[in-house]
Amino acid sequence: MASPINLGFNRAPSTVMYLDLNSCFASIEQQANPFLRHKPVAVATYDTPNGCILAASIEAKRLGIKVGLRVKEGRLLCPDLIVRSPDSDKYRAVHLAFKQLLSDYTPKVVPKSIDEFALDFSGTPAFQRGLFIVGQEIKDRIKAGIGDYLTVSIGLGPNRFLAKTASNLHKPDGLDEINENNYQAVYQKLSLMDLTGINRQNTIRLNTVGIYTVTDFLNADIPLLRSAFHSILGYYWFLRLRGWEIDDVDYGTKSFGHSYALPKSLSTPEELAPILGKLVEKVGFRMRHANYQTKGVYLGVLFNDYQYFHEGKSLDQSIFDSRDIYRAAFRLLSHSSYHLPVRNLAVSCFNLSPRSTLQLDLFNDVQRQENLVTALDDINDRLGNFVITPANMANTQEYVHDRIGFGQIHGLV
Amino acid sequence: MIQKISAPVSVQLVYDHHLHMVSPRQILWDGKVIRIAKVGMHHTIREGRTLFHIFSVVSNDLFFRLKLDTDTLFWTLEEIADGLAN
Repeated sequence: MASPINLGFNRAPSTVMYLDLNSCFASIEQQANPFLRHKPVAVATYDTPNGCILAASIEAKRLGIKVGLRVKEGRLLCPDLIVRSPDSDKYRAVHLAFKQLLSDYTPKVVPKSIDEFALDFSGTPAFQRGLFIVGQEIKDRIKAGIGDYLTVSIGLGPNRFLAKTASNLHKPDGLDEINENNYQAVYQKLSLMDLTGINRQNTIRLNTVGIYTVTDFLNADIPLLRSAFHSILGYYWFLRLRGWEIDDVDYGTKSFGHSYALPKSLSTPEELAPILGKLVEKVGFRMRHANYQTKGVYLGVLFNDYQYFHEGKSLDQSIFDSRDIYRAAFRLLSHSSYHLPVRNLAVSCFNLSPRSTLQLDLFNDVQRQENLVTALDDINDRLGNFVITPANMANTQEYVHDRIGFGQIHGLV
Repeated sequence: MIQKISAPVSVQLVYDHHLHMVSPRQILWDGKVIRIAKVGMHHTIREGRTLFHIFSVVSNDLFFRLKLDTDTLFWTLEEIADGLAN
């Protein structure tokens, strides 16, 4: 067996496919409304000037409109920009349709985000047909069955990283492979920042040890990479760049969180309490639905002057009731010494454990509390979220909308 | 321009058992019969345990978002839009 130090490029055939729905939210809006097709469209948190652009159509991207811009900045670049608010249910429906279609080819379909899937074809009949043929068939079936305006970029490689990199080579509607025959040529055309996982900070780290190009990165030995990253990450990159699998790991659920950008300025804990209550209800409902309880509550507050207050608290015992989470979160909010208008409020629960065993309490009837919470969750589940809410959540209907986070998604079946 | 409406609407829906397809053909709204030219997308949502079918459709010049409540089988027109910037 080769020593890791002398490890060459993985000669195994490309069995991993990475599929990326191009301009996901914007393309789905263009699919739903044909009048938006071939026009610059952006999906933004809000359609007001300060709304943050979450997705831009291919036509908008060509005009320089990118994710993260404000709507007013997008309109400076393109006065005719059509801005839509997100419709999370629509995007989830397309995600599930994609997942169902892809499951026809392999049982190993891993959603990496709302618009990305990693597929492992090893040992499947589809692999025998050739993944370029299968990839083209998937594209055709998406157009015929899910949406004629939807395009996907597909990448093939011996590991997830190279498959993902291949999917980025030609956008939109690409179908590329990176393997032992072309990896060096592909690397020569890429910059360090083109690699998924290498951001500006990692580029600086690599530059400090004399790595300026992807080819330098490939040729670097493990001690050099270790000195750049000061961690096991250097070894992981050594393997990744050579096509060995290191990312086929399910990290599980570590936390449940929810954040909200406030549409109007609120400053005091009392003013923020109803919104905090609704955030906590959403977090608590999702956490209990996944059958977890928590021993840690975290609060993050971004103020209008971009000062940031955040604090987490580990608790003595596990809690599951939203009222208990709210008490802990409100206590954290009261610790903040700032009383400036708040821009963004975030709550999360960490230190999770399965809710299979209930720790009884000497002074409180925990079993009764659990029965009550379960009954309330059942009612909210049957009739729609927040039919029954705490009184402090009154008049918060227009706050805290349904959103899809960036990155890995949980809870979609 | 998008206009949120949320008003009851009459919808003619056709099921084709040969093609296994269901699609709205025309709507009666505001005293006018509007022919559906294309179904852009169909998806479902749940509000509580009630299932709703959402049809995103266009006529010759307007976009309509139609919502079918599967408990009552009543239709609601949720949104009208054209393809212009708001």
